[in-house]
Amino acid sequence: MSIDNPPTIEVDQPEEPTNRPAADHRLKEWLSRGYVRRIIVLSIIIGVVIVPLAWVVIHFMNLSGAPASAIMVEIERTMFVFTVVSAPLMAITLAILFYSLTGWGRVTGEDPPMQESPAIRTNGTAVVLWIAATSILAGFLVIWGLVELATITSYANGSTPANQQPNGQKAIDINVTAQQWVWTFEYPDQSAITTDLLVVPINVPLYFNVTSKDVVHDFWVVELGIKIDANPGAITNTGVTPDKLGTFNIRCAELCGLHHAYMQTKIKVVTQAEFDSWVREMGGKRTV
Amino acid sequence: MTETAVVHQTHDVPQPKQHGKPGGILRHTSIITGTVLGVVAAVITYAIGSHFFVPWGTQNSDASQVGLNALIAATYFAWVIFFMIGIGAFAGPIRWALGHDLTHDDAEYMAGKGQGKWRYWKYTTDHKVVGTQYLIVSMVLLGLGGLLAMLIRTELGITWMEVFDPNFYNSLIGTHGIVMIIALIIVVTGPFGNFILPIMIGARDMAFPRLNALSFWLLFAAIPPLASNLFLGGIRDGWTVYQPLASQAPIGMIGYQVTIIVFAFSTGVASVNLITTSVTMRARGMTWNRVPIFVIGVIASSVMGLVWFPMFQYSQILALSDKVISTSFYNPIMGGSVWLYENLFWLLGHPEVYVVVIPGTAALMELMVVFLRKPLFSYKVAIAGFAGVVGISSIVWVHHMYMTGWAPSAGYPFMLSTELISIPFGFLVLVMLGTLWRGKPWTRLPMMCVYAVVWDKVVGGITGVYLSDVPVDQYMHGSMFVVAHFHYMLMGAGLFAAIGATAYWFPKMTGRMLDERLGSIGFWVAFFGFQLTFGSMFVAGLQGMPRRVLQFDNAFNISNWLSTIGAFTIGIGMLVFLYAVITSWRGGKPAAANPWGGKTLEWQTETPVPLENFPVLPVVTSDPYGYGVPDPYDTVPATDKQPAGVA
Ligand code: HEM
Ligand SMILES: [Cu+2]
Ligand SMILES: [Cu+2]
Repeated sequence: MSIDNPPTIEVDQPEEPTNRPAADHRLKEWLSRGYVRRIIVLSIIIGVVIVPLAWVVIHFMNLSGAPASAIMVEIERTMFVFTVVSAPLMAITLAILFYSLTGWGRVTGEDPPMQESPAIRTNGTAVVLWIAATSILAGFLVIWGLVELATITSYANGSTPANQQPNGQKAIDINVTAQQWVWTFEYPDQSAITTDLLVVPINVPLYFNVTSKDVVHDFWVVELGIKIDANPGAITNTGVTPDKLGTFNIRCAELCGLHHAYMQTKIKVVTQAEFDSWVREMGGKRTV
Repeated sequence: MTETAVVHQTHDVPQPKQHGKPGGILRHTSIITGTVLGVVAAVITYAIGSHFFVPWGTQNSDASQVGLNALIAATYFAWVIFFMIGIGAFAGPIRWALGHDLTHDDAEYMAGKGQGKWRYWKYTTDHKVVGTQYLIVSMVLLGLGGLLAMLIRTELGITWMEVFDPNFYNSLIGTHGIVMIIALIIVVTGPFGNFILPIMIGARDMAFPRLNALSFWLLFAAIPPLASNLFLGGIRDGWTVYQPLASQAPIGMIGYQVTIIVFAFSTGVASVNLITTSVTMRARGMTWNRVPIFVIGVIASSVMGLVWFPMFQYSQILALSDKVISTSFYNPIMGGSVWLYENLFWLLGHPEVYVVVIPGTAALMELMVVFLRKPLFSYKVAIAGFAGVVGISSIVWVHHMYMTGWAPSAGYPFMLSTELISIPFGFLVLVMLGTLWRGKPWTRLPMMCVYAVVWDKVVGGITGVYLSDVPVDQYMHGSMFVVAHFHYMLMGAGLFAAIGATAYWFPKMTGRMLDERLGSIGFWVAFFGFQLTFGSMFVAGLQGMPRRVLQFDNAFNISNWLSTIGAFTIGIGMLVFLYAVITSWRGGKPAAANPWGGKTLEWQTETPVPLENFPVLPVVTSDPYGYGVPDPYDTVPATDKQPAGVA
């Protein structure tokens, strides 16, 4: 690539600030520089490569059947939006990075280069624009995150995000007990039947009371997008409403000793009728 | 006027009386006396203790391990204390207590004058010796951690069977993690903060030369307890050693706790020394606007270490006390709290990543101006960036605890603070991009590390933005995605920056040039292996693979195979780089005093650097960034036809 050849002029007199041309002229001149144009093009190309990554990311998350709940949908939406909104800044950063490898020329060899680059100490416009752009981006991410957190919290509580009111459906309580290295689930409202394979009806809110008998474990229902530590001596809560039939993964997500890797089980999301018959089979009666 | 203060000409100030030969007892102490005394004391403690502590333990029915734990802890502490005595760490205070002030000859002896290579094995105060010692030790730790990483990846790559016993595998993870964390904390501030920084600011030594030796040898003494854990049941609980899992752990865990307690003293001492040196020892004329940015970075990192390391230390003191005297700080059944542990741990745990990343970033800023022949872009913005990161990093630790259930509403404020830290972090990216802007890079290895690190920071940064979001973290926490993310920050941005710094300052520290060809080959092989290793680890995480597991669903096989191939590629690359370092150090091309044409002071003194750094102390008249020619665009007369530029 060629080095741009700016007009060479005597350097004696620093320029008088009073004759600075109008901002739009300066912008036009700046945009007419070859390297600026090439970096813009490069940014666009990189941006076009990054944005589809958002789908790739979601694709990998969905391989095993996610999203199986509104919470997981929100999580994936957030991943998607974050990738897309940060793509421009990432693209510009990478474009400048790659362009500078050779774009303004480069020096090889054993001895320190004699040729010096332009003595740019700072540039008010660039600093202000960059800080503004990163702050707006960060501000957006914060606000998005706060709203999403409120949203998934109300989903977890079995209520509708819009009005934070319970949506009338009574949740099924499930007591989750972790111990090295098994999960036990108890349905207090269904004659306290216990199982190590979670079976739940579709579209009914579930509310988990999670605790541990020994060390810290972590109750992760992968495709439903919920996760909460199981602590000894404390009960933590989370909830979700599964909205997809199928069998999904429950994995322990906190190192809990020897067989942590094997501390996994499944959650079966079935229809209400299947759930009722499963409860009867397990010797419980439906009390709700 | 009384006789206590008399004005003298400098040359006839009455010197303290010389007692015996210069150096006194320190003439006889070295790593050998230290090791011998330490080992003997440890053995005696163990022998006596096993009659005393172990019965104590067995009387306590709840915790029959207590006695054994106490015995091991006592043995380790005996090693540390008597090693320090044996190497002569306490000779100074004892001499003062006896009323024997140090003479100039004593001080020169302690700085290693006339002792040749032997001074590297002694309690030597010269900052250049300490810096070199740190460099070697961090390379040894990185080698050990890297070896363990290869073992971890072997297990994860052989997906069809268990290669290692799960307990051993768990200790591999824990030991790899903490060894690497310690190595990365010291890898820039240790070698370059000690060797280069005092020269860079035009000082003859650190502010507290003896504390400098103390910080290094404390670190050294802390390593055997850590390394020996693999023979004592291991650290099976990850580098975070969460409670109460850690209280079930075998006695290897005691090694972790003792190491952290001792290492925290070492970092504390080193931080005080670096801050004081930078603040008070600068050459005449080096005002705060003329301080090289590397110095600012080291100060920033040291401040964080000084403030937050005590939290980590304290967390381990309480943990040790739970183990050896059955307190119940973290035992929920006895009223303790696991969340207390997690908070104390992450109060350092988070700032720690910036302790690692900031000095490396600052070193890269320092060297890129030399290779670009351009001033640093917006020095003030860089400082604001460091200050912002230091400030905000102290109020983000709960993002590691989003999923603990400890304080569900804490997600809101801590998500806010965590996202905000990306603004000052962005300042640092701006400074690097602005410096690259329109520069002609001299594409030597140190400069190429800048490109590598900015790339890794972009990847680490964007994935960090995901993780700081509570809903997303609800999926990612505890998964391989997190592991890949923090390797991009710690290894991609921290270790690769340290490699750049090593390549840059190698000629000054060793007097020889680093073999450019071999070094570059090693570096780039490691870099591309790194992208493969952790790029595919992101995929495993997205698919839902938890971390710290040795067996997993077949769904994760492909990404794990790729990751293991990448890891061995890193291993090969690192070995090549190490080979380049060793051969260049022993027989490389002799280096000129200023091979890169740098303007900071360390390049203005001769190589090898004389004992007191400068024959005459320099006077500084400008900042070290006076590179470059006037910008041709800026000198265009401002007419309508040829408007002046904006950048
Ligand atoms: C050769 C390159 C490396 C490879 C292949 C590697 C690989 C790994 C793997 C596979 C894990 C276990 C992940 C898990 O199952 O949770 C791990 C953990 C870790 N690594 Fe590395 N690593 C490398 C270099 C580094 C470096 C340079 C650092 C420096 C900071 C580092 C710091 C850590 C930490 C802190 C952990 C967490 C340990 C824990 O879970 O407690 N690693 N690494
Ligand atoms: Cu587990
Ligand atoms: Cu953190």
